[in-house]
Amino acid sequence: MNRKIYLSLGLLSASLIAFQLALMQLISAVQWNHFAYMVISIALLGFGASGTLLALTRKWFERHAEFALYLLMILTGVSMSGIILFSSALFGKFDTYLIFVDLSNVKYLVLSYFSFFIPFFFGALAIGLIYIQYVNRIGTMYFADLLGSGLGGIFLLLLLWLFYPAQLPAAVSILPIIAGILIIPKSWARRLIIPSLLLLLLPIYLIISPSKLPVSEFKGVSGALNMPESKIYMEEKSPYGHIQVIESPSLRYAPGLSLSFTEDIPVSDALYINGNWFGPLTDRTENNKIHFLDYTTHNLAYVISEPGSVLILDGRTGLHADHALWNGASKVTFVEENKKVLDLLKNELAFKIDSLFSDPKLTSISLHSRSFLLSDTSHYDLIVLPPIESFGGSSGVNALEEQYILTLDAMNDIWDHLNDSGMIEVTSWMDYPVRNPLKILATLVETLEKKGYMEIEQHLIAIRSWGTISFVLKKSPFTADEVSRVRDFCELMYFDPVLLPGIDSSERSAFNHLEDSGFFSSVDQIVSPERASFYKNYDFNIHPATDSKPYFSQFLKLARLNKLRDMFGQGALPFLEIGYFITLLTFIQISLIAFILIILPLFFTKWKGKGKVYTLFHFSGIGIGFMFVEIIFIQQFILYFGNPVIAASAVLSGMLISSGIGSLISSRFKNSNRSLLVILSLVILFILFYAFILTPLLRASISLPFSLKIIFSILLISPVAFFMGMPFPIGLKQLNEHNNTLIPWAWGINGCFSVISTVLATIIAVEAGFLWVMLLASLAYGFALVANVFR
Amino acid sequence: MPIQYNTIQVMRYLYILFAFLILSWSTPAQDYKKAREKMVTEQISKRGIKHAHTLDAMRKVERHLFVPPAYMRMAYDDGPMPIGYGQTISQPYIVAYMTEIIKPKSGDKILEIGTGSGYQAAILAEIVDKVYTIEIVSELANAASERLQKLGYDNVEVISGDGYYGLEEEAPFDAIVVTAASEHIPPSLTQQLKDGGKMVIPVGSPFLVQTLMLVEKKGGKISTSSLMPVRFVPFTRSRKE
Repeated sequence: MNRKIYLSLGLLSASLIAFQLALMQLISAVQWNHFAYMVISIALLGFGASGTLLALTRKWFERHAEFALYLLMILTGVSMSGIILFSSALFGKFDTYLIFVDLSNVKYLVLSYFSFFIPFFFGALAIGLIYIQYVNRIGTMYFADLLGSGLGGIFLLLLLWLFYPAQLPAAVSILPIIAGILIIPKSWARRLIIPSLLLLLLPIYLIISPSKLPVSEFKGVSGALNMPESKIYMEEKSPYGHIQVIESPSLRYAPGLSLSFTEDIPVSDALYINGNWFGPLTDRTENNKIHFLDYTTHNLAYVISEPGSVLILDGRTGLHADHALWNGASKVTFVEENKKVLDLLKNELAFKIDSLFSDPKLTSISLHSRSFLLSDTSHYDLIVLPPIESFGGSSGVNALEEQYILTLDAMNDIWDHLNDSGMIEVTSWMDYPVRNPLKILATLVETLEKKGYMEIEQHLIAIRSWGTISFVLKKSPFTADEVSRVRDFCELMYFDPVLLPGIDSSERSAFNHLEDSGFFSSVDQIVSPERASFYKNYDFNIHPATDSKPYFSQFLKLARLNKLRDMFGQGALPFLEIGYFITLLTFIQISLIAFILIILPLFFTKWKGKGKVYTLFHFSGIGIGFMFVEIIFIQQFILYFGNPVIAASAVLSGMLISSGIGSLISSRFKNSNRSLLVILSLVILFILFYAFILTPLLRASISLPFSLKIIFSILLISPVAFFMGMPFPIGLKQLNEHNNTLIPWAWGINGCFSVISTVLATIIAVEAGFLWVMLLASLAYGFALVANVFR
Repeated sequence: MPIQYNTIQVMRYLYILFAFLILSWSTPAQDYKKAREKMVTEQISKRGIKHAHTLDAMRKVERHLFVPPAYMRMAYDDGPMPIGYGQTISQPYIVAYMTEIIKPKSGDKILEIGTGSGYQAAILAEIVDKVYTIEIVSELANAASERLQKLGYDNVEVISGDGYYGLEEEAPFDAIVVTAASEHIPPSLTQQLKDGGKMVIPVGSPFLVQTLMLVEKKGGKISTSSLMPVRFVPFTRSRKE
C-alpha cells in the first residue's frame, strides 16, 4: 500500500480544520460573528453530505478510487482558494442585515451556504473514501486524520501571524493540493504532475495579490472611514484579530456624556478589531484641563471617595486607567487579554496616548480578567468592570459569548479583592426592553447577600443619565457625606439617582424621564426579598449568570416566546434577541438538512442484513459525545489559560492528537466487540468524573506557571481523549466485518451529528449549564454502549 | 477650455436618469400616490400619529424619489432601507414619529444632523420655514442637495460637513433632529437649541431596535425623555404586565 496516503490524509485533515478557523476569521472580519457561525455550521454539513453521496455511489467511487482521491483533494484545495474570489463578489452585494430589509436577499445567504459547503464536501468525500478503501487499517488512518486535524489548528495559529484574513483561505489551500500531488496515481503521473504543480500558483497568486474584500458598510470601521479625511493609520495581523487604527478629524468619543458638559470633546483616533469598535486612543495631553469621564455616570466611584489603588478589568485601550490616574490613584493595575493590542499601546501607539503605559503608577497585565483575579492576591480600593453593552443595545448579538467577568462567581472573586471600604464600579447602557441594567443589578445584589450584607441600600448606589446607568457597590456602608456628594453630582450633571440611601421616588426621574416607568419597580423588586418571583415573572432572563452558564447577554426565555410575541408583535422577536435566535435558527436548519442526509440513502439503496439501528446509535452517540466534551473543555480552559486562542488550540490539539494515538492503539485489539464495551464504559466514567471534578481541579491549579499549566492540561485531557479516539475506528472495523455497505452511512451520520452537537451543546449550556452538557455527553456514549450490548 | 467631467457627477446624473426611467416606465405615478396614502393610513395614523401637519407632509413627499433605484418598489414598505455608506432612510413611521414629537409649525427654523437621503428634511420643509441639514458623508450630502433642489425644496439648505459643531451662525433653533446618533450628544447642539426647544434622537441600530429620545431645554435646564422603543411597530408593553 502506498504509505503516502497517511501523509496525504493528515495534510487534508489539517487543511479542513485550518480552513474552518480561517473562514471564521474572514467572515467575522468582513461581516459579523453570528453570520459566520451560521454559515460555517451549515457548510460543515459537507461531512454528512459526503457520507450520503458515498452511500449512494459507493461502487463507482471504489472502481475509480485512486484517481477520485487525487481529484477530490485537488478540488478541495482549488475550491478553498476559489472561495476568496467568490467572497469578494458576494460580500460586495450582500449584508446580513439586508435580509431584514428585503427577503429576496435570502438567495445570497443560500448561495453563501452552498459555496462555503463545497470545500468541506470535497475534503470529507476524500476522507470517507479513504476509510472505505483502507478500512482494514482504519485505526492508523483515523490516527493520521486526527493528528492532522490537531496540527491543523496550530498551523492556522501560525498563519494568523503571517497573513491578513483575505489571504488565509489561499494559504490553507496549499495543503490539500500538496496532499493530492502526493497521491497522483502512477498511471497518470506523467500527465498530471505538471498541471498539478501549476495549480499551486493559484493560491500563491492569491496570497501575493489578495482580493480586496468589501467590509460591511454597517460595521464600525466602515462608518469611521466614510468620514472626511479618515484614513487607516496602522493595520496588524494576529491571532487576536485584524487590528486597524483609524485616524479621523471627526472621531470623538465621550459615551453617555452629561448634557451639562459645555467644553469641546477632543478628537481621538480609534482602534478596531475585525472591523468592530475596540477603543479610543485618547491623547492625554488634551485632557490637561478636564477629563470627559468626570462628566459621565462612570465618575460615580470617584465622587464617593478617592481610591488610591484601582484595578481596571478588560481595560481595552486604557481610557479608564487614564481616568483613574487623572483622579489621583497612586496605583493602577490594568488587565487586558488582547496581548497584541497591549504591545501596540506600549510601543508603536504609545505616542498617541501620551505614553500612558509608561506611567510608573500603572502596571499592565495581558490576561483574561477573570484568570487574573483567580491568580492575584492583592486588594484594591476600587475595581472597575468593563462597560456593559453598546450604545443603543446590540439586540442580543453577544448572547452566546461566555462572559466570565460578569458571573456571580466572578463578582464573588472581585469582592474578595476589595479593601475594607473598597468599591466595585460597573456601568451599563440603558436598553429597551430593560435587560442589561437589571441583570447586573441582580448580580450585585446577590453578591451582597451571599457575603451576608442584607441591608442592600446601604451598600449599593446607582445613578442614571440619558443613556447610561452606573452602579457602585461598597463593602462598608455609605456615609451621609458620600450620599450628599452623589446628590450634588447628579444635580450638577442632570443625572438621576436610582438607588441611594434615603432616596425619594420623585428624585428618580428629575432630569431623565422614562416612558416605561416599570423600570423603577423592577429595580425595587430585585433589591427586595421577592427577587426570586420577579425573576420568574419577568419576560426576559435576568437571573445572574454563573460560571456554569456564563452567558450574561442571553436574555431570551424560550417558554415566554408566545407571550413576547403577543406583547411586541409578530416578527419582532428576532430583533430583540438576535444572537440566540440565530443559534436556534442554525440548529433547526442543520437538523433538517442532517435528517434528509441521513435518511436519503435508505430510500435509494436496498441494504440487506441488520445493523442500521446499531450504526445510527453507535455513530451518532459517539459523534455527539465527542463534540460535547470538546466544547466544554474549550469553554473551561478559556478561563484557565486566560486566552481563548491558546485555550482552543491547546484543547483541540491535545484532544485530537490523544484521540489519534488511541485510534492507533485500538487497531491492535483483537476482540473488538468486548473491547468496545470496556472502552465506552471507561469513557462514560471519565466524563462523569470530569463533570464534577474538572472545575475544582482547574481552579486549584490556575496559579501555576504557564508551562506547568500546559503540562497539567495535557495530563487532564489526554486520558479521556485517548479512549474517545477508539470507538469510531473500532465501530467501522466491526461494520466491515458484518455489513461493510454501511460504512459510508456511518461516516455521514458521524459527520452530521458532530455538526449538530456543536450547536446543540451551546443551546444546552445556555439553558441548563455546562454540567448538563457533560452529563448528556456521557448519556450519548451510553446510547452507543447500549447499541453495542444489543447488537 | 475643455469641459472636465467628474466621475462622481457623471454617475450621479446616470443615477438620476436611471431613477427617472424606472419611475416613469415601471410604476405609474398614481400607484405611488396610492401607496403613499396607504402608508399614511396603515403605518402612521393607525399607530397613533395625529399631528395634522406631519400627516399632510407624509402624504405629499414622494418617498420613492429618496431611495436607491433598486429599492423603489419597496419605498412605501414598513421598514428602513439602505442608501449606501452604511446609512439608511428611516422607516416611515419613525420619520413621522420624530416629526410629530418636535411639534413643528410654520415659522420654525430647524436643524437636522445627518441628511442621509434628504427625506426627513423634505418632510420638515413641508411644514416649517427653514431647514438646515448637515451631512458628514459628502457623496450623500451632494446627492441629497441635488435631489431636494430638483424637487423644489428651496427652504432646505444642505451643508456638507461635520455636524458636531451644529450651525452656530444660524442658531438658535426651534428644534434639532439628529438622525445619526452617536454615543454622546455634542454640547454645541444643546447650546444652539432655543429655550423651550426640542431635540429628538433615535438611539440604536436602524435594522434592529431603536429608542427615540427627546431632549428639552427649559429655563436653561435640560431634561430628557426616553420614548418608546420602536421597530416597525411601537414596542409598547401591554398594561397587563
